Amino acid sequence: MLFDKYAQACRGASLESVKDHNMAVPVSQMYTVASYVLTQKMRRVRRYPLVLMLEPLFRCNLACAGCGKIQYPDHILDKRLTPEQCWAAADECGAPMVSIPGGEPLIHPEMPEIIRGLIERRKYIYLCTNAILLERKLDEYAPSKYLTFSVHMDGLQEEHDHAVCRDGVYDMAVKAIQAALKRGFRVTTNTTLFDDANPARVRTFFDAMMKLGVEGMMISPGYSYQKAPDQKNFLKRSRTHQLFARILGDRKRTWRFNQSPLFLDFLMGKREYQCTPWGNPTYNIFGWQKPCYLLQEGYVPTFQELLETTNWDGYGTGRNDKCEDCMVHCGYEPSAVSDTFGSWSGFGRTVKMTLMPNGR
Amino acid sequence: MTTPHHFPSDSDSLEGRVFRPATHAELVEAVEQAFDYRGDVSLQLTSGQTVEGYVSNRESHAARPSLQIFPKGESGLRLIRYADVEAISFTGKDTASGKSWEAWVTKKEAQRRAEAEEASNAAKARGHL
Repeated sequence: MLFDKYAQACRGASLESVKDHNMAVPVSQMYTVASYVLTQKMRRVRRYPLVLMLEPLFRCNLACAGCGKIQYPDHILDKRLTPEQCWAAADECGAPMVSIPGGEPLIHPEMPEIIRGLIERRKYIYLCTNAILLERKLDEYAPSKYLTFSVHMDGLQEEHDHAVCRDGVYDMAVKAIQAALKRGFRVTTNTTLFDDANPARVRTFFDAMMKLGVEGMMISPGYSYQKAPDQKNFLKRSRTHQLFARILGDRKRTWRFNQSPLFLDFLMGKREYQCTPWGNPTYNIFGWQKPCYLLQEGYVPTFQELLETTNWDGYGTGRNDKCEDCMVHCGYEPSAVSDTFGSWSGFGRTVKMTLMPNGR
Repeated sequence: MTTPHHFPSDSDSLEGRVFRPATHAELVEAVEQAFDYRGDVSLQLTSGQTVEGYVSNRESHAARPSLQIFPKGESGLRLIRYADVEAISFTGKDTASGKSWEAWVTKKEAQRRAEAEEASNAAKARGHL
């Protein structure tokens, strides 16, 4: 009964939101996620995955400075997950959403087949791409409510090209986004922001992406951990709060974010959450990564083993030096989603924040 | 998606180092270093054999501690027991060394452009651009 009430409330709110506020996420996706989370809560499942982070390869066609995902010997970069391995991971994990980062997924020759199999499984897929190959590869995919191209955009032209260490990439991405939208694909952007981000420029960037017509935007703070915490590191968290408060304060109603509004509140320092490291489990050529997308402390062959053998209480803010300043979406957005569906008050806050992003 | 920036400082690279552990604790530590290393290592085994490859995982707390290595030039994964490891040499290039954002920012523009060009040419050669 409680499930039905929640689901109906969510569905009703979403429909209303779509009509009035041009929501970033389709109703069917919201309903699927809401139903899934509520089912877990009804069954009193303490740890459940929300988004499978599927890394089918580490090879990329960019070499962004500081990227910790692509620095491997060539024979490792040449390895790829097969479609069957990708589908098995999705089946085993059971999360309703699959994010495909990398490396650059569009390099994978079997990516269209992988996507087709995931769509057959009714997974909502975010294919994360730098969009260099996107326009050229669009013919290999069919528009679907289940498939979203999530284009990596770290800011306006100057900032983005600087971040990816290559001139011209911003323009290529914009052109690819336009082509994908014209063909009816779902397109979002994903943006990583660091301490040196200029809030005014980021706001202008949001305007530019909305003008392009993307469905929504995803943002997350970049994260740098040091083994030995020091005062400087502790300040980083407060600097993140300040940065996002300046970026997201007095939010324009034209901006649409493909994220939980409570997570955005968290980034602004208006809400505290503990990390949910099992929320976005990572699977790649090495296996299931312990404990999360960012920390590589080992691998296990099955998702069940990941859940059962990871010392989850050893991770998160205040529990582990490596996690001290982390506010990244892969750990904290599942916490925000759990908050939304954990109580009526959480649900109410989410609806309120969705309808009135600047309200308190 | 989010780009993680978690590197040891560039001067910490183990490239070229050789570890000949005298105790089990030293061996455990050496394997940990090999696991964290973003390049190939060469394992000298007690059998006299040498295996070169990328250490992708390790089980130091298992009853029979072992590591997993992707041998260079082979498609499969190989399991090697700690007890069979005599020495670990960091023979492969440390692919993370000098690749931090901080290092990139401090480089001169010409060097940045040269590195970007090199990466671009490598991607083009593979047909990825």
